[in-house]
Amino acid sequence: MSRAIFIPRDGLHPVLDRLSAEMDVWVPVASGPQKCGGEFVRYVPGTVPVLERQSTTPPKRILLPQVESLLSYAYVKDPEDASRVKINLQAEIAAKPTVVFGARPCDVRGFLLFDRVFTGGPFQDEYYRKRRENTFFATLVCRQWDAACFCSSVGSGPADMEGSDLRLTPLEDGFLVEAINRRAHPILKLMGGEQPTKTQLEAAENLQKETTEEQVGTGDLTHSGDDFRGRFEDLEYWRSMVSQCISCGVCTFVCPTCYCFSITDEMQGLEGERLRSWDSCMFYQYTLEASGHNPRPSKFERYRNRIGHKFSFIPAKYAGMIGCCGCGRCIRSCPVSIDIRKVVENLKENACACS
Amino acid sequence: MVIGWGTGYDPLHVTPVFLRGLEDVSRLIWNPLCVQNLTGYLVKGALTPPLEEGKKIGICVRGCDSRSLVALIQEKLLSRESLHIFGIPCRGTLDVRRLMNESGLSQIRSVTIQGDHLVVQNDEEAHRFPLERFLARRCLRCRHPNPVIYDELVYQPITPRTAPEDAYRDVEAMEARSLQERHLFWSSELDRCIRCYACRNACPLCICQDRCIAETREPRWLTQRVNLPEKFLYHFIHALHLAGRCTECGECERVCPMEIPVTLIKEKLNQITRDLLHYEAGLDPEALPPLLTYNPNEAGI
Amino acid sequence: MDQSAASGALVDSIRIIGFLCNWCSYGGADTAGVCRFKQPTDLRVVRVPCTGRVDPLFVAKPLIYGADGVLVSGCHPKDCHYAVGNLYARRRLEVLKNFLSFMGIDQRRFRYTWVSASEGQRWQQVVSEFSETIHAVGPNPLARK
Repeated sequence: MSRAIFIPRDGLHPVLDRLSAEMDVWVPVASGPQKCGGEFVRYVPGTVPVLERQSTTPPKRILLPQVESLLSYAYVKDPEDASRVKINLQAEIAAKPTVVFGARPCDVRGFLLFDRVFTGGPFQDEYYRKRRENTFFATLVCRQWDAACFCSSVGSGPADMEGSDLRLTPLEDGFLVEAINRRAHPILKLMGGEQPTKTQLEAAENLQKETTEEQVGTGDLTHSGDDFRGRFEDLEYWRSMVSQCISCGVCTFVCPTCYCFSITDEMQGLEGERLRSWDSCMFYQYTLEASGHNPRPSKFERYRNRIGHKFSFIPAKYAGMIGCCGCGRCIRSCPVSIDIRKVVENLKENACACS
Repeated sequence: MVIGWGTGYDPLHVTPVFLRGLEDVSRLIWNPLCVQNLTGYLVKGALTPPLEEGKKIGICVRGCDSRSLVALIQEKLLSRESLHIFGIPCRGTLDVRRLMNESGLSQIRSVTIQGDHLVVQNDEEAHRFPLERFLARRCLRCRHPNPVIYDELVYQPITPRTAPEDAYRDVEAMEARSLQERHLFWSSELDRCIRCYACRNACPLCICQDRCIAETREPRWLTQRVNLPEKFLYHFIHALHLAGRCTECGECERVCPMEIPVTLIKEKLNQITRDLLHYEAGLDPEALPPLLTYNPNEAGI
Repeated sequence: MDQSAASGALVDSIRIIGFLCNWCSYGGADTAGVCRFKQPTDLRVVRVPCTGRVDPLFVAKPLIYGADGVLVSGCHPKDCHYAVGNLYARRRLEVLKNFLSFMGIDQRRFRYTWVSASEGQRWQQVVSEFSETIHAVGPNPLARK
């Protein structure tokens, strides 16, 4: 039996105020007064969460910041003998208890892949692991989807709570918050809120049931690995699908599952920092080798890699899990409206899809 | 091959199409949702299939896009002879993001234009939206709705909606603010930049593409950091390299996923080149952009 | 910027970057030094072959990262060692000058000027004036830390 509280619509602020006094709380907000999109920011009293629409950028950066310092270093010259140089290294991993309040199932699903990549193998990424262990997800049962959404096509759904700790069910007059696992109980306690009435519990259960049955997106993209391999050499196919691509990095930067990064040393004088920052496989520089050779010289090879990575290489490596959460952000934000679903679906067809 | 617009993943979203034979022509559409400037495809990256020797390439352009073509021809990045230009007088394109956001529509079946309205049919009913209310900012200040260069004009020319003296009213509104307010404005806007480089890649005149100094290591203008100075500098690089060249097609602003008004920066630079050097980009294929030349007897500097 | 900040303790930390062309202004600064004209010490000089080499970004980057002022100086127009380098520069730098304040950077922080190798006196005057201006404008609010 899960524990639950009810937060009336006008009672959201006190709850988040209490929570943010104890830990970091991230909420989706509007990007600005006249902006259509939204993003996740650290909640401070007075922040107005926008829970009615999907944010432009996912909560990815909470666990994988766009840039983070892995370590800092300094060369120290011996004053007696200038040829002797010592290196001082410093690495700190700061991870504060964090709640992500109001993410959607698709947003959280990205982290299931991150878990496999950063903490699933023999080498653990301590930076990610520490943050992950300290982060709790209070996830919305999603009721807003549009033509670009396709979470059901990737094996998830608008009420999928995998990877989440608390479930937020939007009701007429507020939210029902339920702890899904034991580790969420202290968070729930901290939130306070009201004891839910029986009607509220029932309404929430009905909504959850109804949402679980929704089919968001048509078709099934989860078994596309073989089709991809069949199309790998078919450059004509990739040309027909993505000639419009302008090689920008929007799709990868707004993607909750894209995790590729670059590591660079930034040095000034005798001191420096080793930085990890997001990279994008859509960029020419991503695979550019020191010799000048580039194994993915054009956007077609690069886009093919993006599809292959998500729908073929990842499932092969992680027991069928696919590298796409169906949030539709890459479709919505694409300057030229490339539809990743179509590219994957058409892998199957024998005929060229260009006509 | 002809480059034009076709329907994308739903009727509200248009995607560029590359027509390769007569059978493709039915994919071609034109309406106020045709938002992309297609001229960048002519100069950036590999065209598919590659152009055959002596064969022309067809391209559909609105007024603003045609100015990009002129600028590219001026800089000898394109030759006029290799093009067959279908010019389309344009009454303005829509800000699709705003339309989606304010209408909250989903399950869209079809979109039609009826007079001054966009009619969107979804599962339930037909919704009517006045075009004027959802025009993109770039189109509200348009001075050149008619293509300045073309082989065939598809519709009748139309009267520009903006007088030359009103062209930079957004810039003027910004300048009415104090220095500090302006700095705060740009700090908060540019702080959202995720450096995805969509603004650069969508710009037909940002022709360095994969060799952009924003990404080169030697010289190293920008680091991997994403702090505010880096973002400021990136946008300075982008804007200053377009000074006197930008034709204000507004693509950079349209494609920005973070909705940063980046075209405004270029508008200011164009206002300066207009007032100082008496030049408007993308109108005369024979002219030379003012920063690529000099005048020993410069007046007013 | 307010005057109190400018006249306070921060005055010492004013930093001005100067891009001087090799043929004229660098020589001019040298002449001023040889003649022992008193000059402010806020200026850090970068020698460039010609003002035509000065990418407007050379000016923008220091200002964005917190330099308090940037001064570009070269040969007088029509007197460029490379004939027209400074004529290109003049257009670019004038456009930049008009642009900076739009982005919220005080345009008084940037100046370009022409000083020949023989004009030691003029160099002293230019650099003193600019330094005074920058002290009056105060430290760059964009300076980090």
